[in-house]
Amino acid sequence: MSDRVPPDVDFGRVWAHVAGDVWSPPPRAAERVLARLLDSQVFARVIVTTPSLVVSWLLASVVVLGVGIVVTAQTGQPWIALLAPVLAGIGIAFAYGPGVDPAWELSRSMAISERTVLLSRVASVFVVNALLGLLASIVVGDALTLTLQWLVPMAMLSALGLAAASASGSAPVGAAAVVLGWALIVLGGSVSLGGMAAVQDARLLPIYGALAVVLAGVALALSERKATEW
Amino acid sequence: MVTNVMPNVDARSLTQRIGRTTILNGIDLEISGGVFGLLGPNGAGKTTLLRTFATILSPASGELRLLGYDPRRGAGRTAIRRRLGYLPQHLGYYPGFTVFEFVEYFALLKEMPNAEIRPAVARAIERVGLADRAKSKLKTLSGGMLRRVGIAQAIVNDPDLLLLDEPTAGLDPEQRVLFRALLREVGQTGTVIISTHLIEDIAAACNQVALLDAGRIVFRGTPDDLSASAEGGVGDSALERGYTRVLSGARG
Repeated sequence: MSDRVPPDVDFGRVWAHVAGDVWSPPPRAAERVLARLLDSQVFARVIVTTPSLVVSWLLASVVVLGVGIVVTAQTGQPWIALLAPVLAGIGIAFAYGPGVDPAWELSRSMAISERTVLLSRVASVFVVNALLGLLASIVVGDALTLTLQWLVPMAMLSALGLAAASASGSAPVGAAAVVLGWALIVLGGSVSLGGMAAVQDARLLPIYGALAVVLAGVALALSERKATEW
Repeated sequence: MVTNVMPNVDARSLTQRIGRTTILNGIDLEISGGVFGLLGPNGAGKTTLLRTFATILSPASGELRLLGYDPRRGAGRTAIRRRLGYLPQHLGYYPGFTVFEFVEYFALLKEMPNAEIRPAVARAIERVGLADRAKSKLKTLSGGMLRRVGIAQAIVNDPDLLLLDEPTAGLDPEQRVLFRALLREVGQTGTVIISTHLIEDIAAACNQVALLDAGRIVFRGTPDDLSASAEGGVGDSALERGYTRVLSGARG
């Protein structure tokens, strides 16, 4: 075998490929799974950089739902159904935006649009929170009934968080809208229908569903306006 | 033979407002290749102009074409962004990311072809002198190193239009010298626009310069032209004297 190097070898190119492989860290487990599921490295990275999906945030959500499980078991009241929608709504308000995502300014100049980043993160936060809520409901028992109690309100509060955060350009405002909106609904239900009617009265589900659709439409219209205001 | 080269930046009567405050007031600017310096005092509108060129802000009025495309159109904006490099004044970053991961993330967001990303990221990191820190987490880097990481993400796609807002802030003198060489290199094939307070960066790296004051361009020419305006100005170098002289003249 000759030890001579062919004259047309581009050493710079070879070096760049080798260095790229050596320096590239193995993807985190979550990113690797997401990349396979979505068949997209870029969306996997966009999702794992979601501020409200970092480990500390998820642990906090698990603790809150854990408390909900304990209180539900002791009182028989549907605390998971009360807590799960709020967690999702706040998480969505903190999924993307100024002061929330460190690289927000830079990401606005990228070919992958802001809107695409926002919507992929919103969908991810919703799915993660729905799974956490489902697990909590399974622990408490009668997962189907319990899940139906919180899933539609969760969709509504998620849409509210997104719309309020988009309109104000502020994650805390979005989160405040979620907490305040849900508190008013729960208190209003308690006063007019009694107990925890907000998550126990099935007649409210169509109203929540309609509100979810309207608020999601508002949020989409706001992101569309931002995308086309050029 | 007459050659008709389309400028990479073509702004006409460009106006930018934040609320009722006019930040840019009727900017007319054509920039082709090379390294272009934007000078001006704080609040002159340099960052707003760069953010507008970076397609982050839409102009309140006026016409703008970047790399031959109209950024008002979605397809044009995407085409511009694929060939754009941008370093904001304040670079936000994910502390847990390594240098490589961070630059790679923006290569992905720029929609670079997958097969090209890793070698392009390696080249960009090497060009800013961070090869020995490629696997370091960003939270362990100094301010100057983070600035270089920001520059690496800006050049990872070999941009035709490179926008750098205060790129040399935090760099030590040796890094600044290396950085200016990098600017000249990129400027040979594309357009580089840097906003800076440092007159020496302009003198060393730029072949064209504009001076902004209160949202208006009050001077456009070469660094030598600015130096030639020095008479009556104050400063330690001819360029500084030219800068202060033009500013005081513009303010009456």
